[in-house]
Amino acid sequence: MNPLHEHRLALTRRHFFRQGGMGLGAAALGHLLGQDAMAAAPGMKAAAGLPHLPHFAPKAKRAIYLFMSGAPSQLDMFDYKPKMADLFDEDLPESIRQGQRLTTMTSKQKRFPVAPSMYAFEKVANNADGAWISELLPYTKKMAKDLCIIKSMHTEAINHDPAITYFCTGDQLPGKASLGAWLSYGLGSENENLPAFVVMNATWSAKRDAQAIYNRLWGSGFLPSKHQGVLLRSQGDPVLFLSNPEGVERNTRRRMLDALEKLNRKTLESFGDPETQARIAQYEMAFRMQASVPELTDLSQEPERTFEAYGPDSRKPGTFANCALMARRLAERGVRFTQIFHRGWDQHGNIAGDLPLQCRDVDQAAHALITDLRERGMLEDTLVVWGGEFGRTIYCQGKLTRENYGRDHHPRNFTIWMAGAGVKPGIVYGETDDFSYNVTENPVHIHSFNATLLHLLGINHRQFTFKHQGLDQRLTGVESAPVVKDILL
Amino acid sequence: MEKPFPHPLWPLCLLWLTSAWLPAAEVDFNRDIRPILSDKCFACHGPDERTREAELRLDTYEGATEGGEFAIPIVPGKPDESEVMARIHATDPDDLMPPPESHKKLTAREKDLLKRWIAEGAAYDPPWAYVPPARHPVPEVTVKDWPVNWIDRFLLANLEREKLSPSPDADAVTLVRRLHFDLLGLPPTPRETDAFVQAAENNPQAAVDREVARLLASPHFGERMAIYWLDLVRYADTVGYHGDQDHNISPYRDYVIDAFNANLPFDQFSREQLAGDLLPGSTVGQKVASGYNRLLQTTHEGGAQPKEYLAIYQADRVRNVSAVWMGATVGCAQCHDHKYDPYTAKDFYSLAAFFADIDEDQHFKVGSNTLPTKRPPEMLLLAPEDEAELAALKEELAAAGDKDEKKRLQAKVAAVEKRGRRTMITVAKPPREVRVLPRGNWLDDTGAIVQPAYPHFLAGDDPGSGEPGEGSRLTRLDLANWLTDPVDGTGGLTARVFANRLWALFFGTGIARDLGDFGGQGEAPVHPGLLDNLAVEFHESGWDVKHLVKLMVTSRAYRQSSLAPPEMRERDPHNQLVARQSRFRLPAEMMRDNALAIAGLLVNEHGGKSVKPYQPAGYYRHLNFPPRKYAADTGAGQWRRGVYVHWQRQFLHPMLRAFDAPTREECTAERPRSNTPVAAMVLLNDPTFLEAARVFAERIMREGAAGEGDRLDFAYRHAVSRPPDGDERRIMGELLAFARKDFQARPEAAKALVSTGQAPVPADLDPVEHAAWTTAARAILNLAETFTRN
Repeated sequence: MNPLHEHRLALTRRHFFRQGGMGLGAAALGHLLGQDAMAAAPGMKAAAGLPHLPHFAPKAKRAIYLFMSGAPSQLDMFDYKPKMADLFDEDLPESIRQGQRLTTMTSKQKRFPVAPSMYAFEKVANNADGAWISELLPYTKKMAKDLCIIKSMHTEAINHDPAITYFCTGDQLPGKASLGAWLSYGLGSENENLPAFVVMNATWSAKRDAQAIYNRLWGSGFLPSKHQGVLLRSQGDPVLFLSNPEGVERNTRRRMLDALEKLNRKTLESFGDPETQARIAQYEMAFRMQASVPELTDLSQEPERTFEAYGPDSRKPGTFANCALMARRLAERGVRFTQIFHRGWDQHGNIAGDLPLQCRDVDQAAHALITDLRERGMLEDTLVVWGGEFGRTIYCQGKLTRENYGRDHHPRNFTIWMAGAGVKPGIVYGETDDFSYNVTENPVHIHSFNATLLHLLGINHRQFTFKHQGLDQRLTGVESAPVVKDILL
Repeated sequence: MEKPFPHPLWPLCLLWLTSAWLPAAEVDFNRDIRPILSDKCFACHGPDERTREAELRLDTYEGATEGGEFAIPIVPGKPDESEVMARIHATDPDDLMPPPESHKKLTAREKDLLKRWIAEGAAYDPPWAYVPPARHPVPEVTVKDWPVNWIDRFLLANLEREKLSPSPDADAVTLVRRLHFDLLGLPPTPRETDAFVQAAENNPQAAVDREVARLLASPHFGERMAIYWLDLVRYADTVGYHGDQDHNISPYRDYVIDAFNANLPFDQFSREQLAGDLLPGSTVGQKVASGYNRLLQTTHEGGAQPKEYLAIYQADRVRNVSAVWMGATVGCAQCHDHKYDPYTAKDFYSLAAFFADIDEDQHFKVGSNTLPTKRPPEMLLLAPEDEAELAALKEELAAAGDKDEKKRLQAKVAAVEKRGRRTMITVAKPPREVRVLPRGNWLDDTGAIVQPAYPHFLAGDDPGSGEPGEGSRLTRLDLANWLTDPVDGTGGLTARVFANRLWALFFGTGIARDLGDFGGQGEAPVHPGLLDNLAVEFHESGWDVKHLVKLMVTSRAYRQSSLAPPEMRERDPHNQLVARQSRFRLPAEMMRDNALAIAGLLVNEHGGKSVKPYQPAGYYRHLNFPPRKYAADTGAGQWRRGVYVHWQRQFLHPMLRAFDAPTREECTAERPRSNTPVAAMVLLNDPTFLEAARVFAERIMREGAAGEGDRLDFAYRHAVSRPPDGDERRIMGELLAFARKDFQARPEAAKALVSTGQAPVPADLDPVEHAAWTTAARAILNLAETFTRN
């Protein structure tokens, strides 16, 4: 951050605390006395982002990112390739592969036999020429009119760790700030009582070992650490160390905090150190989170039809359906960026066994989330993204039969979708060749994709920088990364 | 006609714009101009030939004054004839520089500075960070009785020029706490505090000198310094990538602690880490030290291509070596010549070539999803008695003929080996070929093959400077020697980088503010003479770390109070003038150490395998290959210092994370200091801190006499090194009264609270009273004063 700006922020902060300092405790007590913690939220001052942001009026006020970790097979879900049916077990032509580098998992295979998708595709109506969607996604078919399906995504990474790090932080190597951290830094939070960036890690159903995920995917990198994503957990404390220790009740805690505040205030008076002032405020915020987080995760007030829409899994903490419902609740409460990681999409083998399970985990819940947001009038300013870190190969990894096959990593093209705020609904963007091996039309690189995401949130990605190691770091790298204007409303 | 300079509001603007105190006297190229040119112009008109526009470079005097395709950009002494001035004031967007699409803008102040600089002759001083430090004369000062050593005279001379005075000395309690936190990372005991306060009454300087000598001799000094060094070299207990499995490296951490304690000269410390294996007759310790080269993140992810990762590894090493020893961001030159500094892509790969002999590709084949994983080559470290036993067993084994006998002996050997610790070391083998990778692309084999070489602009003309003998190539040992040789290498520069970092540890901010970047994009030092003299003092003293530390912390400047009137805080927010001391929250590890020490729980064992404090269940559940179960240490391991805590790169202990400990994926020269609700929750609810509170409460009740007043005295003296005042007694008294009543009504709750953790639960204490005091102890452990280094 530029020192001038930092300095000004500090001044503003100081000003704010001077004005509101003593009032915070009282507001928090208000919550205690039975008020809905959130009812008070709109009146509360939100944590500020950068003063010159957004750069222009945003279409999206918040975003929900459904990350399918492991790389879903575009060939069996969205990228319909009817000509492949006739090429079962034929070798992938070299004219298509073009010496493309392969992972060491299949680079030693003697053959690269074509594995057509075993799933039936249907062309469903959208707002353009229709979208082909496979039978694995019956609910997704129903919302084709809401989705902007991009079939021409591409990346350079071919292994999970660098690829997912690339997607989430704009660089294959660790050390950079994650998308959510950037948004927290730039746009701040709309709700003082909840973090600006919340992460959930859902359970999954595929039998195969799932890829690990990493803290760095929601880390703050070179940005101040307060911008890192806060994990919302489904077991134990929903936020780490949120609960009072055994034996301590909320009023005991309140009394202790009151004493602590009085004592810290004495230190503040002696030293006038703004850090002490901030610390007093943070203890109050922690206290408020003890009310706001349980209120957030308490689904008991949700009507029956909510659970029907999201599916039976939505009652089970930690499932994708449960996380999706939670994402809607977070969006309602003004959380800027929610990211759900759903693991288990790495089908090197046993597509027939595992892929349907994975699809079932997310299909209905994603549909429910979109519908739910629309019904609440929130889809127009909430952006929803679904996708993984790369795609999968047309050629089979391991044994190929009509009934089952596996697919290796494929970075040259893969499919994701977006919906909501400012994105053209009901279109399919980009095209691939008959083998779903190369982009033939409208390629979208990761950096362009992230640039588009930032654009929707009112940010010009070229101007959104943070100086680190002598460089103006940006989420979208140093090369040009044009916003995909074609898909914007 | 523009308003003549200076404008009446000028000093105010300056204050606002740069937070700088610098007088508007002469324009200094490195301080005032280089940052502007570097940030606004060099991307297109700088050292990188490939992206240079209009064949114009502004990073050299020749380039700027000869011009490119168009008019002469800079005519020394004549701003009006300089094209640069016309272009930065252009109204036509096609002419304007920097071009609008770059989103870079010059402020009015920057334009004025450029104008003045050109008018004054447009002198290009070489980048300060590449000019070897030389001793500067120590300035004269008016106030003669303030300075203790020459550090003070540099600072005071500056303050006097600014018509400012240093702050008064801090009180003795603050000072003894500062010294203990800074040098040991631990709070003083009440006895130590009393002794110091008493001594300081008579002669503060003598008291400081004596205390510093005592603390520098403490084995905790090494632990404290290691916290910082381990951040720089990105030490961690796990591989970082993909499965983030454990790897064997903790003996390296102990080596670092020992080295600081033994005051190993910094040049030797550097040699042993970079090239311990290449030292003639290298010792066990030196081999362990060579583990430095193995600290980087590694992977054996299925599908990973060795060639790709070898390229990633070499780049990682160049980034780290250059960051740690050179304070440089050479990493930028991986894909192209550096945009702001003179490093070329060839320099980058030539530096990488120094490390091409490291045996490191075995793990692509043998890396296993086990804990620890396999990362050969490693070395087994045994206690001397085990060493002897093993030798004897091996002899027996060689002599044994019978199969059963052999089996029995092999089992014994395995048992002895199991008692030892393994650690990754560096083993040299014939070097791999290293090429310049065009745009950093490892698949592109068209780049030139490079040999190990120093960055071209630093190598010097003297062929004797670290050059290898006939036909041989430079080695890591040559590199280490070059980095620490002030005459034939860049030792002076290295000394300046390290001296600046030490300064930041003890004063809160570096003399050059950016601890990680001494390049064109970093900030020039505010006291260049002082920094140079510290650097020269450092290497001339034989790279004596303790000497340099002592010089800093026995200065008068160090003793100042941190109290500052708001005007001063605003005028000098980063405390670069050093007209006061700094206040800051303790680093993450010390947050833990401090609480454990106050409670009397801290186990002062030295070294050993990494320890695992309590951690929320399921925190590692996102890891795989293999799935992870966390088993917290039982017994002594639970209460060791933070520097020994298991460093899981991808899921660092949440307490360490909350207080800004880095993941150590990359070099961290300066940690951020955040202040978040999550940190508040950790201090309130992490079992480590709860257990510390309840054990502290027990201690207060047993050792603090019977009366509440005496007990509060005891508690405060242990936590903040002073007795509580009247207000504090009253507030704590009320809290205790409330808690007593609260827990009397809920005796089961009281029992639960005082049973947190593994420390024995006292059977003889009344749980209600114990819980009440635990509540008081929690409040005290959460006081800002308790964990603020002031």
